[in-house]
Amino acid sequence: MTAPITGANGRAEETRPAPRVPIGELVFALLMLALGILALVGAFSIHVPVGIQVGPTVFPIAVSVLLIGSAAAVLIGVLRGERAEVEEGEDIDPDASTDWVTLAKIVGAIVVHLLLIELIGWAPAAAVLFGIVAWALGAKRWWLGFVIGLVVALVVQIVFGGFLGLSLPWGPAFGWLGGMF
Amino acid sequence: MDSWSLLLEGFATALQPEYLMWAFIGVFIGTAVGVLPGIGPAMTVALLLPLTYTLDATAAIITFAGIYYGGMYGGSTTSILLNTPGESASIVTAIEGNKMAKLGRGAAALATAAIGSFIAGTIATVGLTLLAPILADFAVSLGNPDKLALIVVAFVTVGALMGKSVPRGVLSLAIGLFIGLVGTDALSGQQRYTLGIPELNQGISVVLVAVGLFAVGETLYVASRMRHGGVDVIPVTKGWRNWMTKEDWRRSWKPWLRGTAIGFPIGTIPAGGADVATFLSYAAEQKLSKHKEQFGRGAIEGVAGPEAANNAAAAGVLVPLLTLGLPTTATAAIILFAFQSYGIQPGPLLFANQPALVWALVASLYLGNVILIVLNLPLVGMWVKLLQIPRPYLYAGILMFAAFGAYAIKFNITDIIILLIIGVLGYFMRRYGIPVAPLVVGMILGPMGEGELRKALQLSQGDPMTLIASPFAAIAYGVLVVLILGALWLRRRQTRYEQHLTESIAVPIKADQEV
Repeated sequence: MTAPITGANGRAEETRPAPRVPIGELVFALLMLALGILALVGAFSIHVPVGIQVGPTVFPIAVSVLLIGSAAAVLIGVLRGERAEVEEGEDIDPDASTDWVTLAKIVGAIVVHLLLIELIGWAPAAAVLFGIVAWALGAKRWWLGFVIGLVVALVVQIVFGGFLGLSLPWGPAFGWLGGMF
Repeated sequence: MDSWSLLLEGFATALQPEYLMWAFIGVFIGTAVGVLPGIGPAMTVALLLPLTYTLDATAAIITFAGIYYGGMYGGSTTSILLNTPGESASIVTAIEGNKMAKLGRGAAALATAAIGSFIAGTIATVGLTLLAPILADFAVSLGNPDKLALIVVAFVTVGALMGKSVPRGVLSLAIGLFIGLVGTDALSGQQRYTLGIPELNQGISVVLVAVGLFAVGETLYVASRMRHGGVDVIPVTKGWRNWMTKEDWRRSWKPWLRGTAIGFPIGTIPAGGADVATFLSYAAEQKLSKHKEQFGRGAIEGVAGPEAANNAAAAGVLVPLLTLGLPTTATAAIILFAFQSYGIQPGPLLFANQPALVWALVASLYLGNVILIVLNLPLVGMWVKLLQIPRPYLYAGILMFAAFGAYAIKFNITDIIILLIIGVLGYFMRRYGIPVAPLVVGMILGPMGEGELRKALQLSQGDPMTLIASPFAAIAYGVLVVLILGALWLRRRQTRYEQHLTESIAVPIKADQEV
């Protein structure tokens, strides 16, 4: 973007904030570059059976080179001032700053969900996931998310687990329900 | 060449009550999920994959055809009734359709979109019926280098030409190719990049990648900067019987046909799918319209044309998918995976080996279109209700189904961990402007391309000249060069129109504010 317009006394006028150094974007491009290098190193440790013209390493090497090349190109682009375009969407406020706390809560909810599935059964674990996410995103009544989640999860479990035969664990609380199918 | 009698047999299959029911369910759920804000066609298809795990192949594929058409259509309702567009294919629909809705003509906008989609979808499906068998007959004779050439064409067009930035698109493609490498090499049986984790021996499932990127990644992105407060859904006037006036019909039918003529060919060639088609159609309508002054303020032509183009392109995308096994959009790549998980390999041999299945699918596309219009006109009120679901519950539900889809693959919680990792990757890709569609295409086509490459080189004893020796491959690479030039030209036009559009919208908005 254009440099901030400076006023007569040399101070920046209140126009747009000066473009920040996009640290996150740089880190992402660097990480992808590192992934490419690791992939290239890893390619040479793939065992090649004897007597094969074009072995299992050819394509990985090509992909690694592509990964390194494109990551480097993105990195150079970012350093030269190209910025990611903010994606638009129905529920996205393009001017909002990133809400890391909510992100952490949601990631945490998925982790809790996967740890709970085999302990308390699929439907209760899914209700926990639903409830935490709804609460993290600002549902008005925190308990309502858990109730709705449990109802939806039970419907899914009965339709897919009960009628269509997917083996979702019922868990101790709903074992009696699972016994009916 | 009696594809018509085969098609009739297909209808006989698809019209059986059981399959008809699945087509109905597919269209219904596809539309319902597609209408939900924040969910584009690719996410709709990815999220609904587990639905078909337990069905037989024909039922699953008929359901999928319905989900595909329903999901494609559902997006337009969202863009007309909400004030911001979702995926790029509905940007232009949002421009004119939303303005129409604000003028109290939302019902007319929805109706012209629905009828236009029906007409375009039907004509394009006829095109598919005529074109696909010819293309499949021809494609049977293709060798390994020829198929590799086609895959390279898809890589370049999807990776480099679809997004706004070439390096970012290629980076996404490369990440996808890398994810596709993980697992046991099919030709030599060697393990690659499995890090000694037994769950990775069979590779990373496409379902995990698609659901992770589209559902988890998107939800995280929305959560990180959510628009709080009420949802602005524009009410639709009751009584859908008076949706379109005579004048509306008169102004809509030509854009429908023109949109179809633009959309179907563009969908067929790997040049970026539906969004390019919608922009071209919009540009054409604006140029030809007698009501130029209405554009940007709710011109019905600007809804009718692009919506027809969108649906015609959706049918066009199925031509290379079915006859060559070549997905040209992320949605098509997920559908290809759905076929593969039933042991069906789309491609030239599909028409020869499984005619019953293919023609049942084509027949169900015709039926899907009919079901779509039957559902959409009367059920608009219900879709409007769906738009008002409080966002916390909507996204909680999306995540719950995403985790369900991942867990239901093998009932292994490792898959949910992989889903989460890919979701976080998807979040950062979105945040830093790296398109996700090339990743999905690269991941699915990568292993296929590698197989063709190695088989070709094995046959030629390592001589790389074999890759361009066949006339078809040479022509394909030649066409690729033409495509690159053509796409660069198209993109320039698209950017110009986008700019032009933002300007022409900005003017009336400013005018409104001044009043």
